[in-house]
Amino acid sequence: MLYCISTGEQILLSDNAASLAVQAFLQMCNLPIKVVCRANAEYMSPSGKVPFIHVGNQVVSELGPIVQFVKAKGHSLSDGLDEVQKAEMKAYMELVNNMLLTAELYLQWCDEATVGEITHARYGSPYPWPLNHILAYQKQWEIKRKMKAIGWGKKTLDQVLEDVDQCCQALSQRLGTQPYFFNKQPTELDALVFGHLYTILTTQLTNDELSEKVKNYSNLLAFCRRIEQHYFEDRGKDRLS
Amino acid sequence: MAASLELSCWGGGWGLPSVHSESLVVMAYAKFSGAPLKVNVIDNTWRGSRGDVPILTTEDNIVSQPAKILNFLRKQKYNADYELSAKQGADTLAYIALLEEKLLPAVLHTFWVESDNYFTVTKPWFASQIPFPLSLILPGRMSRGALNRILLTRGQPPLYHLREVEAQIYRDAKECLNLLSNRLGTSQFFFGNTPSTLDAYVFGFLAPLYKVRFPKIQLQEHLKQLSNLCRFCDDILSSYFRISLGGISPAGQDMVDANLQKLTQLVNKESNLIEKMDDNLRQSPQLPPRKLPTLKLTPAEEENNSFQRLSP
Repeated sequence: MLYCISTGEQILLSDNAASLAVQAFLQMCNLPIKVVCRANAEYMSPSGKVPFIHVGNQVVSELGPIVQFVKAKGHSLSDGLDEVQKAEMKAYMELVNNMLLTAELYLQWCDEATVGEITHARYGSPYPWPLNHILAYQKQWEIKRKMKAIGWGKKTLDQVLEDVDQCCQALSQRLGTQPYFFNKQPTELDALVFGHLYTILTTQLTNDELSEKVKNYSNLLAFCRRIEQHYFEDRGKDRLS
Repeated sequence: MAASLELSCWGGGWGLPSVHSESLVVMAYAKFSGAPLKVNVIDNTWRGSRGDVPILTTEDNIVSQPAKILNFLRKQKYNADYELSAKQGADTLAYIALLEEKLLPAVLHTFWVESDNYFTVTKPWFASQIPFPLSLILPGRMSRGALNRILLTRGQPPLYHLREVEAQIYRDAKECLNLLSNRLGTSQFFFGNTPSTLDAYVFGFLAPLYKVRFPKIQLQEHLKQLSNLCRFCDDILSSYFRISLGGISPAGQDMVDANLQKLTQLVNKESNLIEKMDDNLRQSPQLPPRKLPTLKLTPAEEENNSFQRLSP
């Protein structure tokens, strides 16, 4: 059972991306999942992050540990890779986490326009006043502290967008004309990239510059479309959560 | 062409031109790309505490942070990545992200947070580079900054205790080192035979970990087991950092030390010889004086004897 924050009203860009990445990964492994949406999913998770899966009596959160958990159960997508390729895959996953995820967080929480219009309202929507304001401000303060610690506190929006562009360029160059990042078989890297890019492309924000940056790279668009068709529409899912 | 480029950064020790990772990255890149960089070792460092070191100063610009400095050098036509393909450029970005996420927390921890290491090695070294009274304040501030960074990026939520995070970051760092070693394999640099940005970054992060002598060294031991990474660091140090004048003091000092050793050995040998000679001299002249009294006695005895013979 996969838990994530309820869509529609509450979910935010970065959490949506992470949830989608895990869903894609599990679909690629051919594991049946049931998606459950809860407003307080963030607090139910052992590490404070969504999404997390609940299997039997075990709870595992975040993509990395989930991949390892699934591997221990005997399903793995990256067994066919040699050592150098595994190193590359891990490096690219870190790149995505480092650049795309941080950029998403920045845009959501540190860009004043987005924060005011979208994030505050969405994050606090299931709670009554004044709790919604308090929780939103607390989360914002936390994220800003983190940004400052890693040196993104002083970046302007343009610099962040430039970093996203560089990251997309790197991903696009690595993908080239192949169907997946490591040729014929999808791996967890494909799931992660799909999760982030699809969410960026389909979420409406105050400014569309982020999705514009991604749209510049046609092979990335084709990649997302391919995974969507292959893994989500074929299984009869009517709605991507 | 660019006017004189000056780099302000932390100084060197233990055979390295600089002990600070980010400064080392910039210095290595400058050497690889052939940029003429004049290195100023800083000692007046309010800037250092805010993480602004290293800083590149030209006539019109002041650039901080390694990534920006490298970009600036590339724009000035000092490009070490000229021969890389697009895919290799992408790989570079990915591996740098891997280094920053997985290896940097553990390096920061080894230098600044682990109390044995911090109090016996890091703090005295940095304090010796900074004038009093800043030397009392700045190392503490840098240590707290490092701890903050580790906790905020790794120990989510920030309520976790450091000990739980420690195990995780060292595990990640060892995995990262293994991955780097696998990627490097037996080649001399990461992309063929010429060094590039990625080599500069890897060298910058690994060299302090490899060379600085710490009391608590679990990560260093792990690194030493990966012989191709150690060879990588040593190669870069010997080919790029022995020839210049600024950074030669470690190498020069080694030579001076060797000369000094030889001199002391010679002196010791000479003094041994002198002692032996002294002994010989003392022993040999003593023999003839002992003979003289016996010679004197015998004529006296003879006289006595002769007198006695005469008297009766």
